[in-house]
Amino acid sequence: MMTSSAEAIEIKKSVVISKQGFKNLVNSLIKKMDVYGVIAKKGKFVYDSIGNADELALSYDVTVLPPTAYLFPPRETILRFALGNGAKPEPVTDDTSRAIIGVHPCDINAIRMLDEAFITTNPDPNYIARRKNSLIVGVSDLTPSPKSFAPSMGTHIAESGFDLMLTDIGSKYIVAIGSRKGANLIKKYTKSSPLSTEDIAKQISVLDRALTRYKLNLNVPRERLPKLLEESYDDAYWKARSDTCLSCGSCVMVCPTCFCFDVQDDVALNLKEGQRTRQWDGCMLVDFAKVATGENFRQDKASRFRHRIYRKGKYVLERYGRMGCVGCGRCAVACLAEIASPLEAFNAIAESWQVKQEAKRILREARPEEELYLPRPAQLVRVEQLAAKEKVFEMKFLDGKDLGHQPGQFVSVSIMGIGESPFGVATSPTRTGSFEFAVRNVGSVTNAIHNLQKGAVVGIRGPFGNGFDVKALEGKDILFIAGGIGLFPVRSLIQYVLDNRNQFGRAIVLFGARTPAERLFVDELATWKNNPALEFYETVDRGTPEWTGNVGVITTLIPKVQLDPRKTMAIVVGPPIMYRFVIVELKKKDLPDENIIMSLERRMKCGVGKCGHCQINGVYVCQEGPVFSLAQLRNLREAV
Amino acid sequence: MKPKVAFFDFTGCEGCQLDVLNLTGEELLDLLGAIEIVNFREAISNRSDDYDIAFIEGSITREAEITRLQGIREKAKVLVALGACACIGGINCLKNHLPMEQALKIVYGDAAKYYDTIPARPINAVVPVDFYVRGCPPQTAELVKVVKALLLGKKPDIPNYPVCTECKMAGNICVFELGKTCLGPVTRAGCNAICVTGGRQCWGCRGLVDEPNKDSETEILKKHGLTPEQAVEKFKIYNTYAEVKK
Amino acid sequence: MTQVKVDVHYVTRVEGHGNLILDATDGKIEKLLWEVPESPRFFEAMLIGRHYDDVHHIASRICGICSIAHTTASIQATEAAFGIQPSEQTILLRKLLFDAEMLESHVLHTLFLVAPDFLGVDSVLPLAETHKDVVVMALRMKKLAYNLAEALAQRKTHPLSCVVGGFAKVPNINELKALKKRLVECLGDLDVQTSIFKTVKIPDFIRETEYIALKDPKEYAWISGKIASSDAPAVPIDQYLGVTNEFCVPTSTAKYTKNKRDAYMVGALARFNLNYNQLSTRAKKVAQELGISAPCFNPYMISVAQLVETYHIVEDAISLIDQLVDRGVKEEPDKVKPRAGRGVGAVEAPRGILFHDYTYDANGIITKANCIIPTNQNHNNIQKDLEALVPKILDKPQAEIQKMMEMLVRAYDPCISCSAHALTVTFK
Repeated sequence: MMTSSAEAIEIKKSVVISKQGFKNLVNSLIKKMDVYGVIAKKGKFVYDSIGNADELALSYDVTVLPPTAYLFPPRETILRFALGNGAKPEPVTDDTSRAIIGVHPCDINAIRMLDEAFITTNPDPNYIARRKNSLIVGVSDLTPSPKSFAPSMGTHIAESGFDLMLTDIGSKYIVAIGSRKGANLIKKYTKSSPLSTEDIAKQISVLDRALTRYKLNLNVPRERLPKLLEESYDDAYWKARSDTCLSCGSCVMVCPTCFCFDVQDDVALNLKEGQRTRQWDGCMLVDFAKVATGENFRQDKASRFRHRIYRKGKYVLERYGRMGCVGCGRCAVACLAEIASPLEAFNAIAESWQVKQEAKRILREARPEEELYLPRPAQLVRVEQLAAKEKVFEMKFLDGKDLGHQPGQFVSVSIMGIGESPFGVATSPTRTGSFEFAVRNVGSVTNAIHNLQKGAVVGIRGPFGNGFDVKALEGKDILFIAGGIGLFPVRSLIQYVLDNRNQFGRAIVLFGARTPAERLFVDELATWKNNPALEFYETVDRGTPEWTGNVGVITTLIPKVQLDPRKTMAIVVGPPIMYRFVIVELKKKDLPDENIIMSLERRMKCGVGKCGHCQINGVYVCQEGPVFSLAQLRNLREAV
Repeated sequence: MKPKVAFFDFTGCEGCQLDVLNLTGEELLDLLGAIEIVNFREAISNRSDDYDIAFIEGSITREAEITRLQGIREKAKVLVALGACACIGGINCLKNHLPMEQALKIVYGDAAKYYDTIPARPINAVVPVDFYVRGCPPQTAELVKVVKALLLGKKPDIPNYPVCTECKMAGNICVFELGKTCLGPVTRAGCNAICVTGGRQCWGCRGLVDEPNKDSETEILKKHGLTPEQAVEKFKIYNTYAEVKK
Repeated sequence: MTQVKVDVHYVTRVEGHGNLILDATDGKIEKLLWEVPESPRFFEAMLIGRHYDDVHHIASRICGICSIAHTTASIQATEAAFGIQPSEQTILLRKLLFDAEMLESHVLHTLFLVAPDFLGVDSVLPLAETHKDVVVMALRMKKLAYNLAEALAQRKTHPLSCVVGGFAKVPNINELKALKKRLVECLGDLDVQTSIFKTVKIPDFIRETEYIALKDPKEYAWISGKIASSDAPAVPIDQYLGVTNEFCVPTSTAKYTKNKRDAYMVGALARFNLNYNQLSTRAKKVAQELGISAPCFNPYMISVAQLVETYHIVEDAISLIDQLVDRGVKEEPDKVKPRAGRGVGAVEAPRGILFHDYTYDANGIITKANCIIPTNQNHNNIQKDLEALVPKILDKPQAEIQKMMEMLVRAYDPCISCSAHALTVTFK
């Protein structure tokens, strides 16, 4: 039986209506309000006002402009005013009733995102007026566009946000009721019947088949996008990809989740009255971030391109709790340079990130698992006293292989029976055949190491840690600031720079020791002082009568150096107390946080991110460190 | 005190000035209430050398025009280039691709000695220009916008983004998808993509945006079936002055 | 010794730049010149090497007032070269678009450019204070013409939707219906204009010349027919060169023409003289009221002939809209295929007969182009008219002599900037 169930139609239930029944419903609506639906035009599909249900083309892939254009139109007046004293502006909203027919689930998800942006905080009267007065009649997407990736974004279905949602199961529609208004539409304008088990099965089969039609997929879980993007801010992808960008605005104009706008005033020619209007704008347009003085805060294509992708994959989600991209694929269709798809950006970044992770894993986990804790034998070929409590040890693996490390990494040295301790590698990997580490005698293991004679064999595990990112230093000026035994790992980077001199800009070395007697690698310091490829400055905290050099803490050297903060990277290693004061001086020189690189020390045991001792907040110093930028450390509250 | 406005024309088709008269009765009366038109050869007989704002239509193609334009610049407080010929050289610059003597001889034969002509150029190649009303022809709305901005003492809000932005806002289907080629991606918007909405494509009559990605546009034109020479020919129609200058 | 010196640089209230020079001493004319110093535009040179899809776009820019005429002539020349026959719908739309331009041009000329002379003012603008209703009416008619053109081609100056083979976008029937209402009201406005024109004194000056216009047996010719002359049998349009016979003069960057006499006239009066019988009944009745009958040899009556034509134009537009509403309009696909060949297109622009002559290669690229502009063809006749007129009025005050000379030039509704270029250009 038909109509009696109409009384019992509840929200969130589904009913069946005939195709003709739906047409009758639409034609009834046309008599009462403006009705917009999807129509065919020149072989494509657009939303347009319709005069009859027969004009609808509901089996479509994607429309040129999204239906959100009816809730947030390209231009609308928001205020009217009279000019002169007492301008008395008045708000203007559009309360016209309308129905929008044929909205795909991805676009409904976009509407829900816009609801968050326009309603939840600082409710927008213009959007709210249109939203309130718009009936949303959705249609399941059974013929997706080849550029669509809605399932990867979870937007190929919509749980809510519509008044009615139709699924075409061949001879009839299954209609999900999404609201009281939707229920009333069914009740008033058409006949409906309950679902049979065949109907339900048909719907499942139809929707499953639609799912197989999507050609594109995201290669990382979408929940990981914010973190992935956060770590890829400096990836070379942004500049490379945006090179052919025309800044034409097509991608942002067709996007259902874009809602940036400009506000302009216009007056009538009689100069008596005027209006304030808003119109679509976009972060991809050249002058979007330009201020009146002419400064443009996103001057280059790469930064604009990156910003848009970050809006889509990170910022919107973090701010509004809903993903900023619904995978409709319109931008991919619209972009003539074929660079706009966020999917391609996300996948490219994921691949790049995975390559980086892979490279790190290779460095860290080069050996098979059973050897994770097994030290490799290496022979002591040379030992030298550096200062009262410090010695340097030169090692060669018995199997003749090189350590294969990056400057800034560390090794764990085992004296079997006494224990194992980590030490930074003090030579550059460019100096092959052997490697050095230096040790201050403070405990059992270091004491045992200090007692080693030439020819002794010890166990080496590593190299561990992330090391200095030499790629990021290329072309930059480098300011090395080493305090005391902080010089040990810094020395490996200084040697690397000297061995690859023309890849880097200026190299300025600042070294501070407590007293002249505690200076380390004094012969090498002398060669650095005389090396025209370096600028070398030294100081001691307390001088002696014989000492003719600078006296003062290392921070006193920093003001002496002229720097260009935009291209200078500071490498800072030293005792914990030194960091705080050095950072203060470096910030006075306007060095950005990302340009201040530090190496941190913590208690370490396993070196492979398992035993837990070296944790700072959520990171393992032996895995994500010991080298960190100050920018990263700002988020690690325990760090400095 | 109503500002005094004068219209001058150089080498062009006079369509831009004509469109000034394309106002309704109320609009014209409003306009005349706001400004005093003291010189408009096409529509009024009396002339005046006392004007604050000068609208210049047409490009410069003769020596005598240079002197005349400089004279106007000296008198006017504000100089506005009206239409593509004045703003960017326009169609007139197509003749710059011919050697001058050859063009003269071909067109006028032996009588060529009576006619002088120099390579066509926009007016900002001769004098500094304060504002531009672009297009071939410009839309009356944009002219009115500039007039209103001058009256209110503000900078007219003319876009620096490509036509594509307005074309999408108008809901047009991209003509590249329909098998045509278009200069919209590098042409300055402000016209509401009238040509695409009208069933055609963009020829670039409003000139290029400040930072056009011409390499990318040329690649796109090639991807859609044009040879590099054909792509250059498309740019030539309106935007040839900069090319010839090189 | 009486000296008369007239030196008008440039004549106002005409399109384009023209100078009037008169030097007479003691009743003897030493110099009498209609000089055209308009900058040469070199349009034929610009068209060489262009693709056919861009040709009419560029040709349109020959003139801002009659851009629709140039566009239509250009498209018809290309269609003739490619052997394309436009559809019935296209022809209806083209004629309607033509009516829009003709209406605008005649209203502009008669009310904005010529009427001020008869009403004793320098321009139509001061009339905004004294005769506000007339100005509003004139603007209303002009706006109607603009809106009609916009409905068909998106804009009047440099129309957009016209393409070789048809229209890239067809008009909305509801818009056409609304425009028809306004066209009907326009006839009432024209009656107001007629009543004003009945009161003005048109100078009485007769000089018979040869009159040339298109003639089509089916209707008052705008965009079809043969070249008709008052002095010779009609010839097909592709034989136009035998009629125009262009030649250079040192005082004009525009060329001169002549046919059977020392000069000939084209334009509204020529059309009126040659095709009077095909005007609408109402137009003929207005002609009678205004005291103009065919043939008329007074060039000052050109504006009156234009007013008469305007009635015909508006009624024609109404009839065309009825036909379009009746048969409906639909998008027609682009089926143009270029081929090598030569074609001539001829239309009656508001100012007279206009020729475009193109030669294409097999890829649809122009190799040769020629345009002959109506005003071109009138320059010689203006000069001859002045030579006949000035001796008759030399005894009048100098200011009046100057005014009558200017009014003569204005009567022709010259469109000078288009006229300065012309000749066949051949590139090897």
